[in-house]
Amino acid sequence: MTALDPTADRAQRPPAVERAQRPPAEVRYADELAALAAGDGDPRPPGWRLSLRAARRFILGDPAAGIRRKFVGDPSLIDRALVALATSRGLMLVGEPGTAKSLLSELLAAAVSGDSTLTIQGGAATTEDQIRYSWNYALLVADGPSPRALVPAPLLRGMAEGRVVRFEEITRCPLEVQDCLLSPLSDRVLAIPELPGADAMVFAREGFNVIATANTRDRGVNEMSAALKRRFNFETVFPIPDLGTELELVEAEAGELLRRSGVTAPPRRDLLEVLVTTFRELRTGITERGDAMERLSAVMSTAEAVSVAHAVGLRGWFLRGESGDAADLVACLAGTAAKDDAEDLARLRRYLEQQVSRRSGAQWRAVHDARHLLPG
Amino acid sequence: MSATEAPGGVTFLGVRHHSPACARLVAATVARLRPAYVLVEGPADLNGRMDELLGDHELPIAVFTAHRDGTRRHASWSPFCAYSPELVALTAGREAGAQLRFIDLPAWHPALSDRANRYADADQRYAEAVRRLCATLAVDNVDALWDHLFEIGPDDGLAERLDTYFDVLRGESAAGADDTAREAYMARWVRAARHRAGGRPVLVVTGGFHRPALVRLTAGPDGTGPDGAGPEEDDWPEVPAPGSDAVAGSYLVPYSFRRLDAFVGYQSGMPSPAYYQRVWEDGPRRAAEALTEAVVARLRTRRQPVSTADLIAARSMAGGLARLRGHAHPGRVDVLDGLVSALVTDALDQPLPWATRGTLAPGAHPVVVEMVAALSGDRVGRLHPDTPLPPLVHDVDAELERHRIDGREAVELDLTDTDDLARSRLLHRLRLLDVPGHTRESGPRVGADALLTERWSPAPSGDRLARVIEAGGYGPTLQDAVTARIEERVTLLGADVDGLATTLFDTALAGLPEHSTRTLTAIARATGAVTDLRALGRALAVALALWRHDRLLGSAGTAPLGALIIAAVRRALWLVEGVRATAAPADPGRLTALVAVRDAVRHAGPALGLDPADALAVAGRVAADAGVPPDLRGAALGLAWSLGDVPDAARAVRVVAAPDTLGDWLGGLFALAREEVVSGDAALLTVVDELLASMGAHDFLVALPALRQAFGWFPPRERAAVARHVQALHGGDAPPGDLLRLDADPLLVAAARAAEERVDAVLTREGLWEGDGT
Repeated sequence: MTALDPTADRAQRPPAVERAQRPPAEVRYADELAALAAGDGDPRPPGWRLSLRAARRFILGDPAAGIRRKFVGDPSLIDRALVALATSRGLMLVGEPGTAKSLLSELLAAAVSGDSTLTIQGGAATTEDQIRYSWNYALLVADGPSPRALVPAPLLRGMAEGRVVRFEEITRCPLEVQDCLLSPLSDRVLAIPELPGADAMVFAREGFNVIATANTRDRGVNEMSAALKRRFNFETVFPIPDLGTELELVEAEAGELLRRSGVTAPPRRDLLEVLVTTFRELRTGITERGDAMERLSAVMSTAEAVSVAHAVGLRGWFLRGESGDAADLVACLAGTAAKDDAEDLARLRRYLEQQVSRRSGAQWRAVHDARHLLPG
Repeated sequence: MSATEAPGGVTFLGVRHHSPACARLVAATVARLRPAYVLVEGPADLNGRMDELLGDHELPIAVFTAHRDGTRRHASWSPFCAYSPELVALTAGREAGAQLRFIDLPAWHPALSDRANRYADADQRYAEAVRRLCATLAVDNVDALWDHLFEIGPDDGLAERLDTYFDVLRGESAAGADDTAREAYMARWVRAARHRAGGRPVLVVTGGFHRPALVRLTAGPDGTGPDGAGPEEDDWPEVPAPGSDAVAGSYLVPYSFRRLDAFVGYQSGMPSPAYYQRVWEDGPRRAAEALTEAVVARLRTRRQPVSTADLIAARSMAGGLARLRGHAHPGRVDVLDGLVSALVTDALDQPLPWATRGTLAPGAHPVVVEMVAALSGDRVGRLHPDTPLPPLVHDVDAELERHRIDGREAVELDLTDTDDLARSRLLHRLRLLDVPGHTRESGPRVGADALLTERWSPAPSGDRLARVIEAGGYGPTLQDAVTARIEERVTLLGADVDGLATTLFDTALAGLPEHSTRTLTAIARATGAVTDLRALGRALAVALALWRHDRLLGSAGTAPLGALIIAAVRRALWLVEGVRATAAPADPGRLTALVAVRDAVRHAGPALGLDPADALAVAGRVAADAGVPPDLRGAALGLAWSLGDVPDAARAVRVVAAPDTLGDWLGGLFALAREEVVSGDAALLTVVDELLASMGAHDFLVALPALRQAFGWFPPRERAAVARHVQALHGGDAPPGDLLRLDADPLLVAAARAAEERVDAVLTREGLWEGDGT
């Protein structure tokens, strides 16, 4: 099994990673992971780089030890996710798009295995080759099937090396492709029938598990086979529950994006508050006063709010040399919230006409006055 | 335990209400100290009735206190369950031979006026401190924090940990004037007890939030508090008495786990009473197992599959979570998290109730619903038979006698007669409390024409007394009880607007003119969540009718009804703008809702400050929107017209002149503005006539059913006016009634028309006729 030696390529991570636009979590937070591992006195599940408690501190933060908080959500969600990874079931993160499921899966993989790069991106065109293994056809033709000719894909590598494999957007794969996870998850073994002898079976080493993510919008988990569902623990990731936290996050992220885009005027906080409140109300379908309304079918995630705040700032700065105003917000909302869906546009217009008009505050009034900027 | 002991042999125990760990600590402390006095946070006016409270009841029970005077009405509960530290302090204290005293102000006292439950958690007072503690210890909320720190930890050092915990919380938050007054009063009792005890031990059991203040207020070396409170009194402090004009009373009532549960109710204590009952009886380890068993049993009776593999997974998850969180054995949240991880294989629509500390919203996952039900339990308390009957029993008997209703013969009532009206209200109040005895056969009903008589027939039942005793939990008098009952019903109904409208009507029938503000606020709030325009329309119609006309029921023009009408109109306008579908048949329900909106704006608008401009703006947008069903577009136009904004209806009707939309559009218009249509210049009718004349036979048949429905909105006299106008257009002069009457059998006419059509078709096919109608 020389080809599958886990130490072979780990030692020489391509130096390009260091200059990447967005290095993986284990590189971004290498110092924190090292510090946590050094001071980790709690028992570690076999094959894990950190104990469960250290992994939890890595994700939820520990100001005393200088560990930043990286994920906003219920601590119990992280507890359940970590314990699930230590058991014999996989972990399935489901939720609306833009709820930081992928970030959480990356952080979990980095904490558990010190490596978040064993990633399968699910899609309509994903094949079993991309999940399990394929062949180097030149070698296959020359020598016949051999470990040397085998090209391992993330699942095979994760099993052989005892690491966590991430499967993004698993429900976007065809059902029959999803089902190739069945025996790796239940029997913890992957058969390579082409290879002779002991090489024909790859048994998962300790530390192997799968974190899948699925969003509830395009194709929910309903279509997954019951057999596969049973092998996962489901965790629903919810949008950020309170306005203050979400506002802070949007302000920080949008400010950072604007700085990188060369905008020196920071976003206006009162306008951001209107923006975040609007997003939250359209997302949950409940207004601040507690009135129910229809939710938009478009994704109103925190990530979308950040991108709208970014766009508002860009419009204001590059068109007029100031931070954006309510009119920019309405114009950008049309693009994000309504996209080209006439129903959503009508819902948004109704919201601006009837709900916004009853709010007090200068920015709310400005947004109401700018409502004619909605197209159509 | 030095940390909790103050000078003079007084031991202060700060507890969380309804905490088994605190109850255990209290029992152990009493056994160890064998105190001379046990002082407990509770209503001091009940001190003379300790025997009644400590009788052999089935728990949970509560002390119910009702108070009414010229300015204020108040009802509150002090619930006790088997694991209430306060109750344990009393029972253990009595066994140890201690003198028992409640030391807090009576429940009716103004300092407690905003509390419906004396033993509710006070955590909103120290939310920020709790938030930081939760973040530090990585738990979700105060319940999980409490379990983590106290319920499932070891018992040694518990008292010190509790003291530290409450000192941290109290140190961070300012007590309000109400708390200060209560603490000053309790401190006086403590000082008096210390003096009387003469060095013997005194145990003080209060909410942990009050403990630091009590220690401080009684810390003076010579018996004075640091605030210069007077020297130690020998006598117990006097118990405040209600004013002479006030009616106040406290008595024992059965209580239920459901009402104790924070997931269900308002101002509750710790969640999950059934679970904590097991913790109290069998300890946390056995309680965790029992919780799993109860959830699985409930799920299996509901035919939700729970496999053995799932159970193994749940068990190992719970164990793993307990280890990760540093628990010796799985706690409440560990078990719940384990079960939910193993059993739920779908995306959840809402966060888990034990993570957010909220009540369960509609649409929760069935597994979660069963889990919450299993945690909550359905235990209902029962009073010992010797307990004095609640005053309601006497009140009901007295009222029935006063109104000469003996339950043996039918009651015929004329509601315009004052005496009969009072009798009717009495019977309705009993009906609302589910007290059997009479069945209502006829009388005013929601949405029906006003009826001024009512008939009740006797329906004797053996349950009657039991039901009245049960209802005694709601209040000492019939009026208090029925008011509390209606408030509860409103809470349970949530967003069910139909149910709420019925309740509203019931309050009027029961003659409760000063509907408590909470009830109507709840209705107004629920209005905000309604999504069914028809139901909202019905509710609005009921409210408007009560507000405008109901002198009989005493509800005309009252302010809370006005607030409800405003909320309902706003909501209806909001919903109207959200209805979208291009080809949907007319829906009389939503048209009626718009009629209710029109009436509300027209009749109640000026008095309530409803701005017609809002309605007109919505009507304008809806009428012009091609994506809205035709009946609603017509209705929106009619709404604008009826509110005085005369539109160009003749032009608007041409836009919707297609055979499948014309009738629906007209139906909407006529529903809202038929008077305007008939009394106006009739340009609209001219255009409609023109449109119909130009329709082919097939198109006309398509349009006909909806047209019939549309003209059905006109009463016969107005229909005749329409007919006269149409006749004038065509130059006829027969009486219009004749046009509407058909002498021949309609089937014969239809057969003749069919025969003609067949002939036309043959002629056309053979090229003998151009088919242009000539």
